[in-house]
Amino acid sequence: MTNDTPNRILGLLLVLPALAVIVLLFVVPLASSVVGAFRVNGGFGFGNFIKSYELYTSDIIFTVVIVSLSTLLIGIFSIAIGGYLVLGENPRAVAILRWLYRWPLFIPFIVVGQVLRTFLAKNGLMNNILIEVGLITPLQATSFLDWRGIVIAFVWKQTPFVALLVSGAMAALDRSTIEAARNLGASRLRILIEIVVPQVATTLMVGLVLSFVTMMSVLSVPLMINAQSPTMITADIAFRINAYGDYGVANALGLISLVASGCVGWFYLRQTLRERA
Amino acid sequence: MSAEGFLRVEDVVVGYGQLDILKNLSLSIRKGEFVALLGSSGCGKTTLLRTIAGFNKPKSGSILVNGRDVTQQPPDKRGMALVFQSYALWPHMTVAQNIGYGLKLRGMGRAEIASRVEELQILLGLAGLGQRKPAALSGGQRQRVALGRALAIDPEILLLDEPLSNLDARIRLKVRHDISALQKRLGITAIHVTHDREEAMVMADRIVIMDAGNIAQQGTPEEVFNRPASPFVAAFMGAENVVALNGRAGGGKVRIEPSAINAEADLPLNGRTLVDGAYEARFRAEGAQLLADDGTTRPAGDALDLIGRVEAASYPGGTWRHSVRVGDDVLLVDAPHAFGQGEAVRVRIPAENLFIFNSQGRMPGRPQQGSLNEGGAARVLEASHA
Repeated sequence: MTNDTPNRILGLLLVLPALAVIVLLFVVPLASSVVGAFRVNGGFGFGNFIKSYELYTSDIIFTVVIVSLSTLLIGIFSIAIGGYLVLGENPRAVAILRWLYRWPLFIPFIVVGQVLRTFLAKNGLMNNILIEVGLITPLQATSFLDWRGIVIAFVWKQTPFVALLVSGAMAALDRSTIEAARNLGASRLRILIEIVVPQVATTLMVGLVLSFVTMMSVLSVPLMINAQSPTMITADIAFRINAYGDYGVANALGLISLVASGCVGWFYLRQTLRERA
Repeated sequence: MSAEGFLRVEDVVVGYGQLDILKNLSLSIRKGEFVALLGSSGCGKTTLLRTIAGFNKPKSGSILVNGRDVTQQPPDKRGMALVFQSYALWPHMTVAQNIGYGLKLRGMGRAEIASRVEELQILLGLAGLGQRKPAALSGGQRQRVALGRALAIDPEILLLDEPLSNLDARIRLKVRHDISALQKRLGITAIHVTHDREEAMVMADRIVIMDAGNIAQQGTPEEVFNRPASPFVAAFMGAENVVALNGRAGGGKVRIEPSAINAEADLPLNGRTLVDGAYEARFRAEGAQLLADDGTTRPAGDALDLIGRVEAASYPGGTWRHSVRVGDDVLLVDAPHAFGQGEAVRVRIPAENLFIFNSQGRMPGRPQQGSLNEGGAARVLEASHA
């Protein structure tokens, strides 16, 4: 007993710095912004949420739809990339893809936004190329700098991240599970869908959940590509704070994105728990 | 098409880059035969199996099934099913889904698949486990699921890649018999890769011993055990005691000249081709008798006497195992009762248990450390006792 007490205090002292960092830099700001979301004119109420609902309902739906669509596309592309890396039979093509696909990982979101702004504009590089090649006439050229631009930016930037996780998990699979399916006559597409993807489903889900949360918090891309209405929640939060100093509505919008991210996290947790059972 | 050569491997060369693993290997297997490919790690036995299965493409040579050239065919067009060493069961599918997957790929109806899977589960003793996932099965059950998945598609040829190596020793003994009984019952042609000599002996109709990408010898278990064609095969089949002798061959006999370690002996050649000169003689610990050295110069009957001194004795069960120093070599010899340390003894090896070969190049190394293959290069022998 007498021996235990100093040890216990020492243990607490060792944990204290890490605990303090988490409490001061994470828990306190989060709690204050959650509380702030309900603070209206010195009292508490749902005023900020009502205002958010009145002003930004379309932006909230826009954000959730865009991020969900991007997540879906990221999933499809990263499965395709990982699948080709693990099942591809042309060693040179596999090597080139392996070298190429990771590049966007090293490019910041703001640069992605800038690059795509010049690429996707009405008189941007993409339309110029399409006109040169003769696929479209100058009159048909349209700007992609709307929701499509945001989706393209998100997918372009986040696919490598998920593909990195997924292809790693695919490479770690027991190769003989793939060969066993080939031995029985499964095509490569069937092997990918029926044998490979189910075995890496957990990794894929983790990658997609992390991507979803990342995309929910990106401010630079909607500001660069699509500053008009409807836009994403992040742009609205920045606008409320910078233009009006309105922290109440900003906090309410923040809480709404937190709830959206939380839903995805909850869905993922429920899925993994069910698989373990 | 005759039953002879149902599966034929002809002059196959397989390699990765510059390195050839299989060098002009040919093998012919009868319909319904159970063949074991036996060899140490890296001898090419798994490469040969994977080449037959279609997972390795040979650089040259061909593979024929029932007269049909399948060399360029994908794995599923060869009428073969492979059971993997790791079982390779799909963890996200149930036992029934694993077994039925090949049938589903063939477009068979759901009810038909269910009845065939049920049938196989009963055949393999997996009844009632259909809805379990592989993770909830024991090693032996997983092994049977893997076997069921392979058998479900009714293959003409069953390929087994060390299917027992992940099972613990007691289950392995039972599964050995289960697999060979099943193979006989279904009349299926089977090729079994193993590094376990006893496993090959018990299960196979014919043993193909491989060494460095070539077939060192093939024959019935009895043939390869009792008439090894080379020092490598003799060593691999357990004749790890090796002594150097000199002698002359002629008139159906070989005369072993006396030396510091052995008495003179006349032994029948029994069809062996030996020339005069240096010999390498091999025998098993259980193939020799241990006698007190009573000064007798010639053994009665056809046998060779070695003169030595007991260094140690141990009791592994059944008989006493002695290490006996004979000249510079230490030999292992079994005897029903223990001899004392330092006792002068004779190691008497009956002619039928003594495998004599002309020495090639260097003198044989110590059996505990290595053995000579036909080319004369020393290589480490993978000793495996189940």
